Amino acid sequence: MNEYRSEQNQQAAMQANASATASGASAPLRSTRRGVIVRAVLAAATLAPLLLALAPREAQALPAFARQTGQNCVACHAGGQFPELTPYGRMFKMTGYTIGQRALPLSMMGVVSASRVSNTSKSDNPPADFQKQGAPIFATGSLFIAGKVTENIGLFSQITYDNYAGQGVAADGVGAGEFKGHTNADNIDLRYADRFIDANRDLIVGVSLNNNPSVSDPWNTAAAWMQYVPVPSPTSSAFVDGNAPYPGFGSGGNVAGVTAYAYLNKTFYAELGGYQTANRGFSILSAGINDAGTTKLKGTNPYWRLAYTREWGPNNIMVGASGMTADIYDDPTDTSDPNTIARTKNLGFDAQYQYLLDPHTVTAQLAYMTNDIHYSNAVANQPSAFASDAAGTMGLANSNSSDTTHTLRAKLTYTYQAKYGGSLGFFNLTGTTNTLNQTSGYDPTTGLITSDPTGALGATALSTRVGGNLSGNPATRGFTYEAFWTPVQYVRVGMQYTSYSKFNGASSNYDGLGRDAKDNNTLFFYVWGAY
Amino acid sequence: MKRISLTLVLTLAVIGAGCSSMERSRSLASPSTPAKTLAAQVCSNCHSIDGNSVSPNFPKLAEQQPDYIVAQLKGFRNHRRADPEGFEYMWGISRSLTDDQIKGLAAYFAAQKSVSPGPGDPKLVAEGKNIFDKGLPAKGVPPCSTCHGDHGQGNGEFPRVAYQHSDYVIKQLTVFQRTNERPDGVAMKAITHSLSDQNMAAVAAYLQQMPSK
Repeated sequence: MNEYRSEQNQQAAMQANASATASGASAPLRSTRRGVIVRAVLAAATLAPLLLALAPREAQALPAFARQTGQNCVACHAGGQFPELTPYGRMFKMTGYTIGQRALPLSMMGVVSASRVSNTSKSDNPPADFQKQGAPIFATGSLFIAGKVTENIGLFSQITYDNYAGQGVAADGVGAGEFKGHTNADNIDLRYADRFIDANRDLIVGVSLNNNPSVSDPWNTAAAWMQYVPVPSPTSSAFVDGNAPYPGFGSGGNVAGVTAYAYLNKTFYAELGGYQTANRGFSILSAGINDAGTTKLKGTNPYWRLAYTREWGPNNIMVGASGMTADIYDDPTDTSDPNTIARTKNLGFDAQYQYLLDPHTVTAQLAYMTNDIHYSNAVANQPSAFASDAAGTMGLANSNSSDTTHTLRAKLTYTYQAKYGGSLGFFNLTGTTNTLNQTSGYDPTTGLITSDPTGALGATALSTRVGGNLSGNPATRGFTYEAFWTPVQYVRVGMQYTSYSKFNGASSNYDGLGRDAKDNNTLFFYVWGAY
Repeated sequence: MKRISLTLVLTLAVIGAGCSSMERSRSLASPSTPAKTLAAQVCSNCHSIDGNSVSPNFPKLAEQQPDYIVAQLKGFRNHRRADPEGFEYMWGISRSLTDDQIKGLAAYFAAQKSVSPGPGDPKLVAEGKNIFDKGLPAKGVPPCSTCHGDHGQGNGEFPRVAYQHSDYVIKQLTVFQRTNERPDGVAMKAITHSLSDQNMAAVAAYLQQMPSK
């Protein structure tokens, strides 16, 4: 999920919000059925650590890869922190998930979370804007099919159910504004690998069929994995949130790619591949995502990755770079017009340092990504419907023909005994200002702040205070502080606080209605479990 | 055309899968996987292909006494050895190994050449040499060299300790002293009983750089 697609998501979410509200829904509707599910999951989440603490400490009964290798989670995950890999975990991945012996290739994962946003008063409709405020939710659940297939082929595939995938409208019978769950293909990585090793040389080579650029990458500063460093955005309350700034590739996920990689002497890593639309023979890579939600790419889009690694004593580092160029259709349902193709170019630099010596685990991660987007002729240079001031002056510039964003994420984590941990994270998204990014502005007729300058949503269309962007600039910046506890190796309980110093381009009044970045500061609690 | 090339790569991958060789297998459940293959494809991930591990989380196995390696692998396999770092990694690795594979792995690593991970603090090293050669009579600690050899080369099931990572030695001394997680090394429980943290650090620093034979 990159800024471009995030923006689309944000807009779609806000439109859903706006239409739900416009159609008369003033409060969240919660079905009894979901209430029961939530209570059941909560009860399970509370009891699970107690029950599991009583279980023997063998790893054999645990998730698929642990079953296959017979090893404990900490063998592959640094300090037991999912999904961050240890050097051994990276070797396991690069050698195609083939170490060990075939076992039941199924695992499950679930996340229960609750969040509290600092200020919910600056909203025209707090119950609609902050439906998840304070309430524990069953956010997502995943099924993994993963394991060794042959001596050279292994699979990591994740199918995820998002309990809050969308919101209903009055017409669909679910209930206006009510959240709807949805299941679709998440991360998929099917790979073939071989390793040629003797006293003088160690060469691992492989080919991966995957659905997300960099999901095949063994380092966790790669875009597809950096997203699991959670920063919940104000209204999502989700562990993994596409709206939080993270260094992603233009194409996003749910595409089809084949990459070939080589790792020489545990020092140099190179990967090269191409991505296409995940349709026809590759539609399984976007299974569960409808046509309108499936990214449509023109032709084959190149992806590359280079990394240098070194290990000394209990330390290891990686310094790397990656990039991708993708031609993306504006409208996934209509790929007939060459004037509706945007071109994104990404260049990323990332670095990771790990210190692993029991009982200490220290990880420092840095990921930086630039995203250049050249809009299609249909989107570039379009007049803005917003007025430039309260007097209704139509003085705003036309939309840009291209934009550039820079995303920086940094995180420092310490874990003791693979049980107790804390982290400090920093995120900073900057970019060019574009009237296209504006989701809040002056109504040309009334001079009031609105999200709907053309009046398409009716005279009562509300502002989009929480997600509103008055400046047209995407800048978002802040820190995340986290403390977590892993009572048993497959349950993690965490508490985070995210403080924003900038949101949607401004520190204060970013929506034009007085909402400040710090109003979005969020306390986030989660229980993550896998089996 | 592009789609054809993508399909071609996939097809080649599938064909390649059919050609996979047991010489490069990472299967831990097949009795036919040669020990040398396991050493290269699996053990080397942590212990290095020549048994000189880089990370002190993992013991150096080069020139290790084969009887000791056999005893430890069997200890992991039957879960008698249960120190956390041991069981987290090694219970799974060893669970399906045959006696022959274990013997082969022991022979493989015993035949490698051990190199020192690097020098330690000279003051600690001197103190450690004293304990290694003469023990701590006042504390009832015998010289390490009595069982582990004058040059730390080990003897049968008494492991080679020369050039071992100091952090690994400290960890194991602590396991012997404070837990019952390595019952086969019960003799070490009494020997380490009176060792202070400083004593352990000194012995470990000496072993990491001691002149080897």
